[in-house]
Amino acid sequence: MHLSIKNLYKTFDDFVALDRITLDVGPRDFVCLLGPSGCGKTTLLRIIAGLLPFDGGMLTLGEKDLATLPAKERGFGIVFQSYSLFPNMTVAENVGYGLRVRKEPAARIAARVAELLELIKLPHLAERYPHQLSGGQQQRVAIARALAVDPSLLLLDEPLSALDARVRVAMRSEIRQVQRRLGIPTIMVTHDQEEALTLADKVVCMNHGRIEQIGTPQEIYARPRTRFVADFVGISNLLPADWVRDVLPELAGQCPEGDTKARELCLRPEDIKVTADGAGEGRVTEVNFLGNLTRLNVQWKGRELVAEYNGFGAPEVGESVSLSVTPSAGAWVRA
Amino acid sequence: MSTAMAPAAGFAGKSGHKPKMASADRLLLAVSLVVPVLGLSLFFLYPLGLVAWRSLVGLDGSIGLGNYASVLASPGIRTATINSLWISALTTAVCVVLGFILAYALQRSSISGKGLVRASLALPLLAPSLVQALGLIFLLGRNGVVSQWTGWTIDIYGPVGLLIANVLYGLPQAVLIIEASLRHSDARYYDAAEVMGASHWQQFRDITLPNAKFGMLSAGFVVFTVTITDFGNAAVIGGDYRVLATEIYRQVVGQMNFGMGAVVGILLLIPTLVAVYIQRVASQRQFGGGSESAIPVQPSWLPARDLPLGMAVFAISLCMIVVVATVVLASFMFLWPYRMEFTLRNYVITLSGGYTPLWTSLLISLMAAGFGVVLLFLMAFAQKRLPPALARLLYFGAILPVGVPGLVLGLAYVLAFNVSDSVLGLLYGTTVIIALCNFYHYHSQGFLTMVTGMRSVPPALEESVTCLGGGLRCVLRDAILPFLTATTVSVFFFLFMRSMVTLSAVIFLFTPQVMPASVTVMRLDEAGFTLQAAAFSTCIMITVALAMLLMRVAMTYLGRKKAGA
Repeated sequence: MHLSIKNLYKTFDDFVALDRITLDVGPRDFVCLLGPSGCGKTTLLRIIAGLLPFDGGMLTLGEKDLATLPAKERGFGIVFQSYSLFPNMTVAENVGYGLRVRKEPAARIAARVAELLELIKLPHLAERYPHQLSGGQQQRVAIARALAVDPSLLLLDEPLSALDARVRVAMRSEIRQVQRRLGIPTIMVTHDQEEALTLADKVVCMNHGRIEQIGTPQEIYARPRTRFVADFVGISNLLPADWVRDVLPELAGQCPEGDTKARELCLRPEDIKVTADGAGEGRVTEVNFLGNLTRLNVQWKGRELVAEYNGFGAPEVGESVSLSVTPSAGAWVRA
Repeated sequence: MSTAMAPAAGFAGKSGHKPKMASADRLLLAVSLVVPVLGLSLFFLYPLGLVAWRSLVGLDGSIGLGNYASVLASPGIRTATINSLWISALTTAVCVVLGFILAYALQRSSISGKGLVRASLALPLLAPSLVQALGLIFLLGRNGVVSQWTGWTIDIYGPVGLLIANVLYGLPQAVLIIEASLRHSDARYYDAAEVMGASHWQQFRDITLPNAKFGMLSAGFVVFTVTITDFGNAAVIGGDYRVLATEIYRQVVGQMNFGMGAVVGILLLIPTLVAVYIQRVASQRQFGGGSESAIPVQPSWLPARDLPLGMAVFAISLCMIVVVATVVLASFMFLWPYRMEFTLRNYVITLSGGYTPLWTSLLISLMAAGFGVVLLFLMAFAQKRLPPALARLLYFGAILPVGVPGLVLGLAYVLAFNVSDSVLGLLYGTTVIIALCNFYHYHSQGFLTMVTGMRSVPPALEESVTCLGGGLRCVLRDAILPFLTATTVSVFFFLFMRSMVTLSAVIFLFTPQVMPASVTVMRLDEAGFTLQAAAFSTCIMITVALAMLLMRVAMTYLGRKKAGA
């Protein structure tokens, strides 16, 4: 089914939490709501879940209007950052909870629970209690619990934020596989851009209660449309139009006409090639070694640029370098 | 940030789109709210309102401030007020100083036998407040062991005896509060001071004392409040020394002067309300300063400090134990202190009814704890789901009883329920009304515990239930109850134990047919059967000690269950 949000509006007292949000989620989509804390992404998720009322706009699933439908009748699955398993129930009881609430026959519940435990690869832990599991295992159980009721929409509220870095990466691909296999439309809230870029079909970048840009991970990274997106996702050099025209005229071509003051060029560090050159115009001011690559700050033609150097032998602070930029690189963004 | 931006044209207003609540859920929420609020209104607000009203109605039926004028003009009450203020201030000063010493020793020193000290501090919780007075009389009274053995004549009846009895009663509460404030300090302050070269004394003066300041202030007000409103000790050991608590009793029970009694009741509210208010302000400031991730300070062993400290602490503990132990010991003596032979004859209660009052108290306390726990649970549950403004109002109403001394509440109940022209009068003289009175007397502490317990329920768990299709009943059963079992058990036992020993409110409500155990102890003492009073007190203490033991067992069991099968 198709979730459709039109001009959704939400305020808390005088604070506008969501400002005319319009968004479509297709039947098999994995959508990530990405943004800094306070941008309204969790509020949006909670409104979709039915845990918060909204002030104006439309929220429909297929032909069904969700505006007045209580959360418990929406039939969605939700997973929270804090796992939120029932501490007094076993893993199997937790997974079967939604079905018991719906008064399904016991045999059917048992079969479904077994199936889901198989799916999350934890069938041997069925009789354990949540506190006997690791964080990653608990979160898998929480996902199984949400999936048990065949939700028409899966909602994930920062599901990986409480996990260790390594477990997080492993869980990412598991979530992706399960979602692909079951084909359930999924909305995930995250503030971690890497998570959004690896998981989503569609990234919704939000700021101050507004959607800044919707696009595939590639679009969001390579063709940011606003300064906020360019700055929030990945590292970028934001260069004023006048400077670009003077210094890098070959990149100025794509700059839309009109008010150039409102435009900036977003240039990713990997687009700038650094070569050690005693006669170069650039001077290295800072070096950060990151393992597989080295990030450099270079003072160049009146601006400080961030560039990357792959492999060993990166220039050191104070060295002179020359810079070259890939001709088609960069994206023009609204300032 | 785009604050204060008007909704674009065509948008629905603030009332917008709100998911409807199922009718079963609405009903459950309504019941959880209405029943406890109705109880609070009928059995707390209404009687208290009557006290205020009756304080304005004169003996001749006229309405005005006549009662207040005559109270202020009456030399007896003026003396009682001055005495009350004086004795309470002294008790407070002594309790705060001794309380700090005890709390500091328990939290920061490495003296051994802390368990014994804590046990001795728990003793006053086991018995009605007059047990301290009773014990003192057995020790230092005209017929006490000390006079008997030394031949000195000590006059323990009066201010000195009252002061000692009050200190013994108030000290444990002071220690609890000051200990809590010491527990919250951060070890890193001390590490920083140590690195900067501060001596132990400097660290104590510059870190420990300032940090414990609000705890001591708070303890002071609590002790002041319980002392000025306490009835039991004043009645037994006060002698001719008149205080407000005994005065209100004399006015109402002795002279049937309800108007004057009401005025004294209202006067007693003033110091209590001020104390409660200042304590709240102080506690907010205290918590504002503490950090979430404080590292607790580890007790250290400094012989120069801990040896004298340990001796002082054990001396105080010993006093607490000796006073209560004397009561128990005396209850088994043939004729204290003249014929020290073991006997059980004091356990044959000659007052009419025998041991019936003990069973009455047991019944009353079970009722108070039983429906108290249910009402408080529902109230805390509903409070969490109300809009913020209403929730604050409910919260305020629920903690109001803490500012009302038992005596005033008891008087209020007499005014409200000792009536013949209303259905409410049917309750008078029953165990139910005493149970209700005891419950509302300790309503605030129970409510605060419940609210704290509710706060430990993870909100995401409740929301998980809702999203999985469960109604409010499922939320209650699967998300809230598992987290609140321990809290519920502790509130139940708290209400039970307080109800077993409280005297100040029930002193107005008993009838010859329905007499609680604590009243019986006082009446036995008044009738001159001091040894029987001691025996009866011992029985109460055993009952409450058993309840305390049962609570420990229940808590351990629940703790183990939570930790995993």
